[in-house]
Amino acid sequence: MSSPVQERRSGGYLERPAPSGLADVVEMILDKGLVIDAYVRVSLVGIELITIDARIVIASVDTYLRFAQATNRLDLYEHGGKSIDELGGSMMRSGAKGKTKGLLDGAKDKFQELVGGDDDEGDDQGDDDYDEDDEYEEYDDEDDGAEEEVEQPARARSSNRGSSSGRRRSSR
Amino acid sequence: MTTAVELGCYVFAIVPAGTKLPPPDAEGPAAGLTLVEVDGLAAVVGRVPTDRPLGRAADLRAHDRVVADLVSGGAAVLPMRFGAVVSDETAVVEELLVPHRAEFEEALATVKGRVQYSVRAEYDEEAVLRQLLAARPDLRRLRETAAQDSARQLQLGELVVHALEELRPADASAILAELIGTIDVHVRQPSAPEEVLNAAFLVDVSHAAAFERRVEKAAEQRAGRVRFRLVGPSAAYDFVAGR
Repeated sequence: MSSPVQERRSGGYLERPAPSGLADVVEMILDKGLVIDAYVRVSLVGIELITIDARIVIASVDTYLRFAQATNRLDLYEHGGKSIDELGGSMMRSGAKGKTKGLLDGAKDKFQELVGGDDDEGDDQGDDDYDEDDEYEEYDDEDDGAEEEVEQPARARSSNRGSSSGRRRSSR
Repeated sequence: MTTAVELGCYVFAIVPAGTKLPPPDAEGPAAGLTLVEVDGLAAVVGRVPTDRPLGRAADLRAHDRVVADLVSGGAAVLPMRFGAVVSDETAVVEELLVPHRAEFEEALATVKGRVQYSVRAEYDEEAVLRQLLAARPDLRRLRETAAQDSARQLQLGELVVHALEELRPADASAILAELIGTIDVHVRQPSAPEEVLNAAFLVDVSHAAAFERRVEKAAEQRAGRVRFRLVGPSAAYDFVAGR
């Protein structure tokens, strides 16, 4: 493989995936880059894209519960048996009741669905690189089979551009 | 297999004419790679059957691999977003390359000799939650009483997420300030509450090593509190979307 990312630095503080995990790949090539629709209109071929929708809602019940659980898990007394109430806090207080952001770019838990169904050898590395895996496992209800194609209609984004050939074939 | 499957042109990237093609794959979009050239400009094209959905992991990897190979070969590369399929080579020339020639040449000049690095910085969850609780008696009290109450659990989680959002800007701008000296920066929207910064940097190849050292240093200085992930050098995906 002649990818420019060849080595994994082990400076200790910086993760450098080599090669990139599928999650990194997905974030770039599904969300960035030149969009063909902006340039070609007449001869666009509307092939159906079965890809994950790389958007999650930060302000979701799942996210709130995840952080509540993470907060509950903390053992606040483990540092020298000192109650955290005795510890000084220098952080700024929260006064703002800002509106939660809407849909934000992201893909972590969704990546799991894709990565989980992938049989490419690079994914093992990708998985290792993602510390979040464990936290997200509980949301990952996909059967981790060996099937290569990601087919989860409820979650898959089905982008059907043009009209020429966007249909699915009936199974053979 | 049905007969006469229609093939479309999968476009990986736009490059200067004469760019050396990466090796093809045995199958998939990157089998049978060709360079479709016109007047100094070229599209790197593969063939895909138009009756099969695109998006398998192998398809995604093929796209990534071909573009990465073009970049590591030293070419100026305008990477397409995944899934760009045009009916045939004539359309690639007449609808893609010829009408947008000036635009593509300008964009190629912008990315020439430059690469993209993507930096993602995330709070260490435990460390940042400890910090939050230490500073916020209201969160500590809520935590004590929330255990069996799902409404209070939600409230606690929401407050924690908001607190992280308030924490983020100062850390993000501090990190950005340490990674100066790049051609351009694209700060992406955070995709998770614990994310401090997710940004793409366009870097001159001659400054790539120095940039990597800066990221390492920023990570070292925040060890235990913020985790850093560096992807690249890659094609300038974040810096080509002119429209």
